[in-house]
This record gives sequence, structure tokens and C-alpha cells, in this order.
Amino acid sequence: MARMTLSGIKKNFKSVDVLHGIDLEISDREFVVFVGPSGCGKSTLLRLIAGLDTISAGEFHLDDRRMNDVAPSRRGIAMVFQSYALYPHMDVYENMAFGARLMGLEKDEVEKRIDEASKMLRLDPLLKRKPRELSGGQRQRVAIGRALVRKPKVLLLDEPLSNLDAALRSDVRLEIARLHREIGGTTIYVTHDQVEAMTLADRIVVMNNGKVEQFGSPRELYERPANTFVATFIGSPRMSLLDVERNGNHLALAGSGAVSTSRLPHSGERDLVIGVRPDAMTVSTDKDTEGFKGSVVYTEYLGENTYVYVRLGDGTLVGIRSSASVDLPPDTPVVITVASEQIHYFSRATRERLAA
Amino acid sequence: MPGSPLVSRRLWISVLIVPPLAFVALFVVYPIISAFAYAFFHWNGLARGEFVGFANFYKVLFTQPYADWTVNAFLHNVWVFFALMVLQNGLGFLLAYCLWRELPGAAFHRISVFLPVVLSTIIVGFLWKLFLHPLFGVVNISFRGLGLGGLAQPWLGQESTALWSLIIANAWHMVGFPTLVFLAGMQRIPGEILDAVRMETESEWTKITKIVWPLVAPSATVVFTLLFVGSFNWFEIPYVMVGLEGSPHGATDVLGLYFYRTAFGNMSGSGQDFGAGSALAVLIFVFIALVAGVITFKLRAREIQI
Repeated sequence: MARMTLSGIKKNFKSVDVLHGIDLEISDREFVVFVGPSGCGKSTLLRLIAGLDTISAGEFHLDDRRMNDVAPSRRGIAMVFQSYALYPHMDVYENMAFGARLMGLEKDEVEKRIDEASKMLRLDPLLKRKPRELSGGQRQRVAIGRALVRKPKVLLLDEPLSNLDAALRSDVRLEIARLHREIGGTTIYVTHDQVEAMTLADRIVVMNNGKVEQFGSPRELYERPANTFVATFIGSPRMSLLDVERNGNHLALAGSGAVSTSRLPHSGERDLVIGVRPDAMTVSTDKDTEGFKGSVVYTEYLGENTYVYVRLGDGTLVGIRSSASVDLPPDTPVVITVASEQIHYFSRATRERLAA
Repeated sequence: MPGSPLVSRRLWISVLIVPPLAFVALFVVYPIISAFAYAFFHWNGLARGEFVGFANFYKVLFTQPYADWTVNAFLHNVWVFFALMVLQNGLGFLLAYCLWRELPGAAFHRISVFLPVVLSTIIVGFLWKLFLHPLFGVVNISFRGLGLGGLAQPWLGQESTALWSLIIANAWHMVGFPTLVFLAGMQRIPGEILDAVRMETESEWTKITKIVWPLVAPSATVVFTLLFVGSFNWFEIPYVMVGLEGSPHGATDVLGLYFYRTAFGNMSGSGQDFGAGSALAVLIFVFIALVAGVITFKLRAREIQI
């Protein structure tokens, strides 16, 4: 079992507040990804869970045991570091055996666990090598192996793919997903890459400025983002945010006209932000189409699709996914139509989602 | 071709290299080689006599009283080396570890540990001679002040404590050097490796012996070699604190003092013997070169690249 409860976790370094009260409930066997821009506090939160930094305020429980003051090595948590942090003077076998021996395991047990881990991670031919004789991907697998040998309740991974080249990344990503299923513990994974987060996670914690913006499944985050930050952070290319004014059943955008919509937020606010993903808009050169007027800035041809970037009347740049055949020169006047049922509504004042 | 870039480049290199090379040749290489040569001649004062082969070497190694003096001085150097290895390098490593862990006051201590290294050895020797003065020295006064008058000793005046007093003075003087080198070695260890160890053990001892020490071993090569060379060339501190005779009764005699006395004579009137002195110098040189070479070679082999 590995159920984690974080309540009111705060962290400050001297006078700088890095985390402003984090509440999370993570279930056993869950794969949770912390994602957010750099400096959002996700790595700090991971280090607090590991015990490498001390929690300034709040409580961290693992299976009902308070962990705040427990030494990192006694938490039943293992961590894979961004730089892998293998011991340079030990070969692969020793790197894995070091921690296992320190746990006080019998010699046979240590060997058995290393054997299992090296089979699972295909490390057998590398056991006698030193870390400097390994490639990035191999070092990564050794670092994971070293963590697994300790049979931790919780496995922490800090940006594990960031030092690998693009071709290896998707391989290792699949590998990590497979390992999580096979081992069956709780995994926490930190990344700034929302694609990694979406593909791996059972649930994602989106963080920004030391706060949790939203905690939910990838589908929830994508389909019902809680606020404009999550809305723009999840999904690529980004969702466009437009400041509109509600007028009856019309949404008016300064300098670009108004569109009518069949679906409006239940609350009566006038000043709204609407979020529209690139695939929820279509671009048309027919001036009589009902929609927001703008002009083409540039187009990106990606083979399957073409993304058209349009400047609207209030200066906002929106990206629209179009068919590959579309080819619009810059400065072409266009009209953008929006699919009503795919509009996300947010309050202009709070930037929070409004139910529609 | 005259005036071509290649020629002017060579000219420049020559202009820059020749003067220092000449300097080293004249003041380092030439004296070493001539000392080698001197060792094979008989000397009357400063006048060179006939060629005597290995007679001078035989004299300092196998005839009395030279043989006893040589062994006595050599064993003292061995003592000094091992004592400083523990006191100076051991303490240096621990100090470096404390400074590196940023214990309270680390910035202040980093400077104060290294400060004595900057002082001239002559000043340090003189200072410690004052500290250890039997009546007015700060050491004995402190003991008496603490009611531990029984511990007050004539530190430099008795055989049982004299050499140790010199060793401690030297350790005080030079401990900042190994500290600094070890500290630099520790600071090269990536932070994530230390975090990785903390995930596996909370024992400071395991961290130091299994991770930190192996990873600073490259710095240790330099420190060990220099300490070895320094210990067997030891001269200034004993010369300033106890004089050329290695008093009392040769209790602090080391090869440096012994060589100096033999080659150049001393105030108590014994004559100078350039031949025996040179033979000693050659023996010391060869011994240091061989052992330092072996130490460097052996330790290099187990250095680790981080």
C-alpha cells in the first residue's frame, strides 16, 4: 500500500515562499505527474516528498504515518534524478547493490533483486561497466534499476527524459509506463512537458507559482480545464484565449465583430474569456460568414495539417488547425468561425472556469 | 622563409621560453647535477680533493657516528610524515567536510583555516616558540590558568615532547592547504549524487567513506605527494624552533638539519664536510624522487573521473 496525503504543504527558502499550501491525495498504485513551467515548485514538492528538503509547514502522510521528520532513506521512497546521479566510482552492479545492502538485506536477497531488476531493464550485459562507459539511455535504466532494487512504496522521477535525445524519449517513456504497471507501486513523475504528462499519467497535478492549479485525469484537464492557466498549458498548439463581451446570445470581440452562440455560461457575467482550441475553429475567406474578423499573419504547413495564425481586431493571435490544402498568404483578410459546443468559458475577473 | 608567420612565431616562443629555461638550468639543474658530482670527491673545506668514488656514501651510511645520526634523522622524518598524514591531512579532510557542509560560521572558518598558510614559516616557527615557552608561553599559562598546571611542560626542552611540538606547529601552519584542496575536490561532487546517497542512507560515516572519500581521491594524490616531499625536506620549522643541532640530544634531528650541519658545519665548531653533505643530499633526493614517483603512480591509477 502507498497512499499519500499532503495537506497544507508550504516551503520557503529564507524569505522566499516557493510553495503556498499544497493539498493532494494520491492513491495506491497511481501514476501521478507534476507538470508546470520551470520555477513553479514541482521539483521542490518532489524533494519535500523525498525528504531531501524539510517541509516548512503542513503535513505529509504516507499510509497514515507522518513523514515530515523521517529521514529520506527511511521513507520507503526511491528517486531517479534528472542527471541520474550514478556513483561514478562503482560499476552498475555496485550502484544497485549499494542501497540494497544498506537496507540490511541478506546477500542472496540483494543478488536476487539485482537479477530481477537487470532482467526487467535489460542491464545484464552492463553489470560490470562504470557509469562513464554507458550511454545516456543506459545510465537512465541503471538509475531506475537502482531505485527498483530497494522495492520502494513510492518511486519518484525528476524529469527523467530531459537528458535524452528525442529519438530515445518516446522509447523510455513507454518503458516507464510498462515498469509502473509491472511493479505496481505509486509513481510520481515531474516534467515540464505536457505531452509526457498526458501520455503517462493516471492523474496530473498542474502547478504554477507554487500552487496547484488543477489535479485530475488527462481527459479532465483537457476537456474541462479549471482555469485559463491549465487551459493554455495543456494541449499543443495552445488553446487561444479571447476577451469577449456577452451581449444577449452574442459574444463580441473588440475590433472583430460578434458571433452568436447557442451555449452560454450559467452565470450572468458580462466580461468573459473564451478559450478555443485550434481544432474548434475554422478559417474562411468568405466575408459574409458569421465570425470574428482578422487577418492572416503566417501559416505553418505540417504535412497532415496546416496551422493558420490569425491576428484578431484586438491584437490577439489565434492558431487554427486547417486542412493541409489551405494556403493563405500573409495579410489575407479572413473570418473565423467557432464551434459553440467547444467553447470554454472563463470569468474575466477570476480566470476560473464558468459552467455552461 | 624570413619574415614568414611561422618563423616569427618560433622566434616569439623562443624569446618567451629561453630566459626561464636558462634560469632553471642555472639555479636548479646545475646545482643538482653538481651536488651529484661533489658527492664523489674528497673535500678540504671548499677545496675539491681527489675522486673517492662511493666513499662519502659509505661514510654517511655505514661508519660511526654518521650511521647512527643518519638513521636517527631518517626515522624522525618517517615519524613526521606519518604524524602529519594523520594530523594535517586527516584534520584537513574533516575540516574540509565541515566547511563543505556549510555548518554555521563556515565563511569565517574557511578564511581562518587558510590564514596561517599565508604566513612565512619563519614567523610561524618563531610564534610557536613563543607559545611553547616554558614560563611565559601562552600554552603553559593557559594550562596553569585552567588549574591544569601539572600539564605544563618545557615542550621544546625535553626529548619526549620536542618533536611532537614541532609536528603540531607544522600542522597548525599547513592544515589549510589540504583543507582547501579537499574542499575543492568535494565541491566538484555533483549535488544530485549526494542527494542520491541521502535517499539510501542517513549515516554520515557511510557517506564519507563510501562516496565522498573515493570521489576526492584525485585531490588526495596531490596532497599526499606534497606532504611526503615536505616531510622529508623538513627544515625551516625545526631550524627556527630548536636550532641546527636538533636539540635536545638529537630528539628533533631530521635529514634537513643533519645535511645542513654536515655540509656547512655549525656554530659548535664541527668542521664542514662537503663530500658527506653532498652524499646525504643525493641520498635524500633519490629517496624522495623514487617514493614520490611510486605514490603518484599508484594513486593516479585509482583516480576516478566524475
